[in-house]
Parts: sequence; C-alpha cells; structure tokens
Amino acid sequence: MIYKKLVLLLLLVPLAFAGWESLAAVAIVTSAIMLGVLYAVGMGFGVNELQLMAKEELFQLIALMIMMVVLVGANGLLNSLSSNQAFGGSLQDSAKSIITDTKAQVTDVFDLITIYDRQSSIEASKATQCNILGMGYSVSACGGFSMLATPLSMAGGIAGFAIGELAAMDRLIEISKVYALTFLLPFGIVLRTFKVSRGAGGFIIALAISMHLLLPIGVIFNEMMSATFLTDPAAAEYNKPPIATIPECNAADTKPPPFAGSNINSENIATLLEGSNEDRALGAYLGLRTDIRSYLAIMLIKATLGPVIALLLMMVGLRTLTSLAGAEVDVTALSRFV
Amino acid sequence: MESVMCGDGFSTFFNSTVMPFTIYAGIITATIIAISFMIGRFLSNPKLTLWAKTELLQLFVSLGTVFVLTTMVSMVCNVSISEIADIFEVPNPGGGNVYDAAYQYLHDAALYSHNAITVTRYHLEAYTILSYFNAFICDYPIGRIGLGCFFGYSGDNQQPFGGYGAQIAALNMAFNSSIIAHFTALNFFFILQYAYNGFAFLFLPLGVFLRAMPYMRSFGSLLISLAVAFLLVYPLILGIFYIMSDKLLDADNDYAPSGIDMGKYSETIFASEEDAGSQLSASTLGEDYVKDTYLPSGTNDVPGALEFAAVAFIAAVFFPTIAMLATIASISYIARLYGDEIDLSRITQLV
Repeated sequence: MIYKKLVLLLLLVPLAFAGWESLAAVAIVTSAIMLGVLYAVGMGFGVNELQLMAKEELFQLIALMIMMVVLVGANGLLNSLSSNQAFGGSLQDSAKSIITDTKAQVTDVFDLITIYDRQSSIEASKATQCNILGMGYSVSACGGFSMLATPLSMAGGIAGFAIGELAAMDRLIEISKVYALTFLLPFGIVLRTFKVSRGAGGFIIALAISMHLLLPIGVIFNEMMSATFLTDPAAAEYNKPPIATIPECNAADTKPPPFAGSNINSENIATLLEGSNEDRALGAYLGLRTDIRSYLAIMLIKATLGPVIALLLMMVGLRTLTSLAGAEVDVTALSRFV
Repeated sequence: MESVMCGDGFSTFFNSTVMPFTIYAGIITATIIAISFMIGRFLSNPKLTLWAKTELLQLFVSLGTVFVLTTMVSMVCNVSISEIADIFEVPNPGGGNVYDAAYQYLHDAALYSHNAITVTRYHLEAYTILSYFNAFICDYPIGRIGLGCFFGYSGDNQQPFGGYGAQIAALNMAFNSSIIAHFTALNFFFILQYAYNGFAFLFLPLGVFLRAMPYMRSFGSLLISLAVAFLLVYPLILGIFYIMSDKLLDADNDYAPSGIDMGKYSETIFASEEDAGSQLSASTLGEDYVKDTYLPSGTNDVPGALEFAAVAFIAAVFFPTIAMLATIASISYIARLYGDEIDLSRITQLV
C-alpha cells in the first residue's frame, strides 16, 4: 500500500512544476521508477549489489530533489543578489559596464601606442640624398629613433592582448547573463538525475553557478581594489597625464649630441626635444619611459590582473562546486587558459 | 540534410559491422566461460566454476549495456534540439536531432574561428605590406612634385608606413590565437565524427570481450564507458552549446561579431601587378591614397580583429573543452556502474 502511495506521489510531482522544472520532475520520476525496478530485480534474484546500488541512487535522487528545491528557492535570491542596488543594476551588467569602460581605455592606449610607433618609425626611416650629375651624398642621421621600435612593438602586443582578454571576458559574462541560470543550471540538474550523465550534470551545474556569480564578482572586486588604490595619494604617480612626444628628425643633421652625460634625465625632456637628432631621440625615449606609469593602472591592474582574478575565481568556484555536485573532473585544463 | 548519425548509412554501419562484432564477442566470451566452467567441474576446482558463474553475469551486464545504449542512441536520434530549446524557453536555433546539433556546433565553431583568421590575416597582410612601403620625398616640394629631383636626385628617403610594429605584434598574437582556435575546433570536430563513425562503436564488442577476461575487467569497463560517454554525453553537451549559438558564435550576424562585415574582407582588394593605373596613382597621389587602397572604409578595425580572435577562442576552444571535460566526468561515473574505479586525472591532463 505504501509503495502505491509513493508511486502516486511521484506521478503527481510533475504537476507541481512548469517549464524546465517539469522536465526535471519527469527525469526524477523516471529515475525513481527505474530504481524501483532495479531494487525489485535485486530483491527477486537475491542480488545484494543491485539492492545496494538502488539504495545509493535513491540518496542521490533525494539530493537532487533538495538541489531543485534550493534552486527554485535560491533563484530569487541569486537574482536579488545579482540586481542589488549596490552594484548599480545587475551583477552582470555592472561587470559588463566595467569591462566596456576598461576596453575603451585600453583601445585608446593602443591607438596612442600605434601613433607613437608610426611617428618614431617614420623618423627612424628618414635618410637624405643629394645627387646631381652622378655625384652626391647620402646621410641617415636618424638611427637613434630606431631604438623605440622594439619596445613600442612589444607595448602594442601587450595592449592587443589586453583588448582580446577583455573581449573574451565580456563574451563569457554575456553568455552567463543570458544562459547560466535559465538554461545551463536547470539542464545540469536534469543531467545529474541519471547515473550515465551525473558527472556531466554536476560539472554543468558548477559551471553555470561559477560563471553567473563568481566571474562578475571577480571583475567588480578588482575594480573596487583598483579604484581604492588610484584614489590613494601614493598612486598619484600613476594618474599623471602622458607627456611623450615624438619630435621631427632632420636626416641631414649630423651634429653631435650636446647634452650627452649627466643632463640626460626626465627633468630635461623639453630641452632634449629641441636639441640634435640624438637628443631628440633620447627625449622621446625618456618621455615614453616616464609615461609607462600613466598606463600601468589601466593595462596591468584593470585589463590584465582583473580578468585573471575573475577567471581564477571562476576556476576555483568551478573546482569546488564540481566536487560538491559529486562530479570528479580535473579542471586544470581550463585553468591553463588563464 | 541527411542526419549525420541517424540516417540509413548509420543503420547499415551498425547492423553490418557493430552488431555482428558484438555478437561474435558475446559468443566467444560465452564459449570461453563455458569451457572454463567445464574444466572447473572436471578438475573439481570451485574457484574456476565460481569465476565462470561471475563472468557469465558480467557478460549479461555487458550485453545489456549494448542493448540499452543502442536503445538510447535511437531515442536521442528522435530528440529534436528545438524541443530542448522550447522546454528551457531559450531562443530556438532550429536544426535536427541532438547528434546533428553537436555536429553543427563544431562545424560552425570552425567556421567562426576561420572567419577570425580571415579578418586578422587581412589586417596583418595590409599592415605588413604598408610597413615595407618606401617613398622618396624630393626637396623643394610643390605639392607632390619636388624641384630637387628635376636635375638629379635630391630629397629624403623614408618609410611613411614603417611604424606599424605595434599593430603587427598585436595582430600576430591574435592570428596565432585564431589558428589555435580553428585547429582545436577541427580537432574536436574530428573526435566527434570519429565517435559517430568509428571508435565508440568498436569499443563495444571489445569491451564485452575484455570485461570477461582475467585482469582486463577495468580496461573493458573503460572501453564501454568511453563508448557510452562519447555517444550520449559528448553530443548532448555540444548540442546544448549549439542552442547558445546566437551569443556564442554570433550566428545571427553571419558568424562574425557585430561591427564586422565579412563581405568586406575580400582577398581581392590588394592592387594587382597588372593594375598599372593603381601603381601610378600610388606613386603620385601619396601615402593616404595607398592606405585607403589597402584599408578602405569599414575594414581598418584592428581592435575589432583582436576582439574577434578572442571570442573565437572562447567559442572554439573554451566551450568544446568544457564538453570534453563533462564527458570525462561522466566516464568515471559510468565506470562505477560496472564496479570499477578509474583514475582519469591523467586523461584529463591530455585535454
């Protein structure tokens, strides 16, 4: 009699849900019926292993039902957490807004680097010639500018990498915003119902939660840290406007540098920029070297460290939640992408 | 389009190759077990007879697995990806069954990463060509004409586009990343096709046979677990990523991020050798004319190309790897069904 009531109760379960919940409920009912059959076969043939397995799976089914109840209950909680006023909208929107701003700043830096690079290379490539009736001379006095090409090329590579990193983060957050809670999480729960797909289900559940919460939290956390740091008086050096300029080079001017020696420092940049070709190249170099500090906050803290922290937070969450959800998988393969 | 997995070709392959092999494996295994049982009775060796009884049960378990798996494959063949999208109330991408959706996702990921390669390569080639462009600016210029060159050769030699090292460095990195993404997508695509047409099904008869052999139970279980996971879990996870194609692969924007029009990245814009008019124009009209020839309006978007390479990496490397990890996570669970604990940490590290 008690079994009949249980079966009736199980068949009524789907009616209590709608949408994906009904699919999950059908999966639970199907799983329960299969377990019942398995237990009956085990009991009928006296196979203890089958009975034990059915019991173990029943515990998993109960765990799953609890997870579903928690999810349905926690959905509102997660949403309220995501859309807390403290974040100025939803968690994901705030993170996306931070990433969009940072991406715009990094793109500006990248554009500036390309302008410097182009100007310095044009100056470095200059050579003058004078040739009349087969006689003449050729002078290239702008070689000093060629030293700027390699660091500027490397700076372009770093800025380009930062743009790519931010774009990837933006895409991940966009996907998590649209699909994590509405699709991946319930799908993971349904997959977790069956033993064959339990590992995958647990992994997808962990992925959905860590993508939805931990990824944007990492971005916001880093933004708060960098904002606090940049308002500190000790960070004044990192807030200065850039001063570097690439002066024009006269390819025919072979005068020796008058400022060689102790006067070559960032205090004398303006004077150096008015000097000989070599002085001008040094002035450009010193200006660019001084400016590095102005870009560090954006390039290093916001564009590089921020995404790395967010992704590591997501990976740690993925690892922990995967193990909590009962799946055993080594996520170091994903961590290597960071 | 004919289904990649559930069409007539698959039925022929399954009925003429996999099923006979499985039946042969079952018969050979049953014969070995029967002979062992008889020898055990003949020698009055209870260990051998007990082993034969145990293995007979395991043989039924293995054959039962094959039956259940084929039933489940047939069932998945009938599950439309659109129905799954409708159940979860997410945008419906259309398409066939789960197997077709998995195939389509990796196909589209390869296309998407290839588009990223095209856009990045276009910029890379344009800037490389520009950076090697030389100009001689004659002294005493009047417009583009220099009086310094009237009676000789007097002026400045320079590379007006020499300074694209920063762009080229960034684009090189993006180009490498796009190639890795494309190769990874093709790699996963190959694994999927191989699973559909080869190894997963041939693991079944091998697994049935090996599970009943002494010291080979774990290996046999691993083979069957691999077959089950790669035929059910791997396509299913890729199938759900196909549902996410709108955001993941920009399917609604011709498989390119918004702001990038693939139609503009034709390979034919570069001046041809026969096009003497263009070369004359380039030499007399100045640098901007040359730059506009190589990078006309709407195509000079280096940050856009860098972003494209990054999102292609997410679609073609990150998510297929997640599908593979989810599959591996399931393998250990499936192996436990057969009473075996398999340490997959080494296999995971190969991903």
